[in-house]
Amino acid sequence: MFKIFIVEDDPGLVKLLEAYLHKFDYDTFAVTDFDSIKIQFQQFAPHLVLLDVNLPKYDGYYWCRQIRNLSTCPILFLSARDGKMDQVMALENGADDYITKPFDYDIVLAKINSQLRRAYGTYAAAPADRPVDVYGLHLDRERFCLRLDETKIELSHTEMKIMDELMMKVEQVVSRDRLLEKIWDDQVFVDDNTLNVYITRVRKKLSTLGIEDALQTVRGQGYRLVPSWGERR
Amino acid sequence: MKLFLREQRPVIMIYFVQLIVVTFVYWLDGYRNVAVSLYAVLLSSCLLTGYLVFRYMTHRSFYRRLEQPVASIGDFTDVKPESPLSEALHRLLKLQYRHYLSELNEHTEKIESHIQFINQWVHQMKTPISVIHLMIQQESDPRSMAIADELDRLRKGLDMVLYTARLDLFEHDLYVETLALEKVVRRATSTQKRLFIRGKVFPVLHMEQQLSIVSDEKWLDFVLTQLISNAVRYTTKENGKLYFRANQEGGRTILEIEDEGIGIPGSDLPRVFDAYFTGENGRKFQESTGMGMYLAKEICHKLGHEIELESIEGKGTVVRILF
Repeated sequence: MFKIFIVEDDPGLVKLLEAYLHKFDYDTFAVTDFDSIKIQFQQFAPHLVLLDVNLPKYDGYYWCRQIRNLSTCPILFLSARDGKMDQVMALENGADDYITKPFDYDIVLAKINSQLRRAYGTYAAAPADRPVDVYGLHLDRERFCLRLDETKIELSHTEMKIMDELMMKVEQVVSRDRLLEKIWDDQVFVDDNTLNVYITRVRKKLSTLGIEDALQTVRGQGYRLVPSWGERR
Repeated sequence: MKLFLREQRPVIMIYFVQLIVVTFVYWLDGYRNVAVSLYAVLLSSCLLTGYLVFRYMTHRSFYRRLEQPVASIGDFTDVKPESPLSEALHRLLKLQYRHYLSELNEHTEKIESHIQFINQWVHQMKTPISVIHLMIQQESDPRSMAIADELDRLRKGLDMVLYTARLDLFEHDLYVETLALEKVVRRATSTQKRLFIRGKVFPVLHMEQQLSIVSDEKWLDFVLTQLISNAVRYTTKENGKLYFRANQEGGRTILEIEDEGIGIPGSDLPRVFDAYFTGENGRKFQESTGMGMYLAKEICHKLGHEIELESIEGKGTVVRILF
């Protein structure tokens, strides 16, 4: 289990971060006494540090240098300052990466994972890449494929994202806007009509697995994945 | 010279009146030798002229200073006073200037500390925003979506404050590098995806590959975000498109952003880049500060880019950035 040391003075943010990281099996320690960060660091001996820039007394840059005297573990900055110079400062003081507030969970997790992989060479399945499993239907996010019993089909990048969202929220309605947001990335801009096309394709792929009527349209609200295949087992 | 003569006019006039009076008194007394009195006139005129010349010579620089407009406030300090009057004036001006300077310093300090406060405050506000952002990130019910939209607006508002405050210190906050234009545009559109989806407007990119520009990414991103949010806000038609085109013309790279929105009335067009100008559209739609386009223009200007705007009411608006 990887240990993550969080130096952030906003308790609300710390709580949310910790709760999220615990979900992915990380052990965390949040600093509450900002006078003895060094001692607490040594006691906890973390694999990775999340560090805020604006802290009581000394700033994050200072603590980054202090930690660097003790350890070479990855240090990720979390800061509201989004200036280029702030990022340069952070990196020059020994940080490995910089995340600006407000951030997404996905980004924090992805950056933590990538730093841990780099530092400790564990290219084995990182927690975030675990397959999703709903009533025997497997989604492998690494290999872009969907498996039910022995049948396996490949999915495109976008189809995978749609299935991922629907399976995470199984039996709940997922709005069209939410799906659009999920599948939109730097390379693909998807509009309303294209989403319809993708949904049709996903339905077709599901039917090749023998799953019918699982992806339901909820009028005016969005889509819902009902595990119709689950009952047969 | 003119000022000097105007200043000395009463003296000259009194001299002539006195001359006439004295000559008249002698004339009444019976002394009527014209030649002698003319000689007296000549003599005393010489004295007057001498006095005037002397006076002018000693006060020349003083008068010249009074006549010439001052180029800047600290302009007079290097002049050497030559006569008691000009010295007194010089002292007065200097004293006033000192008072003025200290007051000016006080104000500058106040403004600077205010800007610093605003900066700090905005950054402090970003933490609660991050917390709310994290809290609703994994929810997809309509309420959380609505909160996310409001959060986006808050964030944009805070950014606007931050960038307005920073504009004066632009030179300290500049990081110019070569950027791939397409990447910059894609990043800007991606970060605004929620806005696009909610506004039911979708971007279409027609860009020549590998066009690179020299700019500061953060400031440019702010400008693009501004233009995008305007375009989306003023596109009322569903499934409207926002076109991004880039090409090279005459050695300059041009980025064109065209929307299918309501356009801008011709009467408002010349003033869209003015500060606090909201125009007709701003009154029809809520939440227009009139600062967006002004900031966009200022930033482009400081980055060395040109920004142009064309619009047909009811048809759409084209904004062009020339790098």
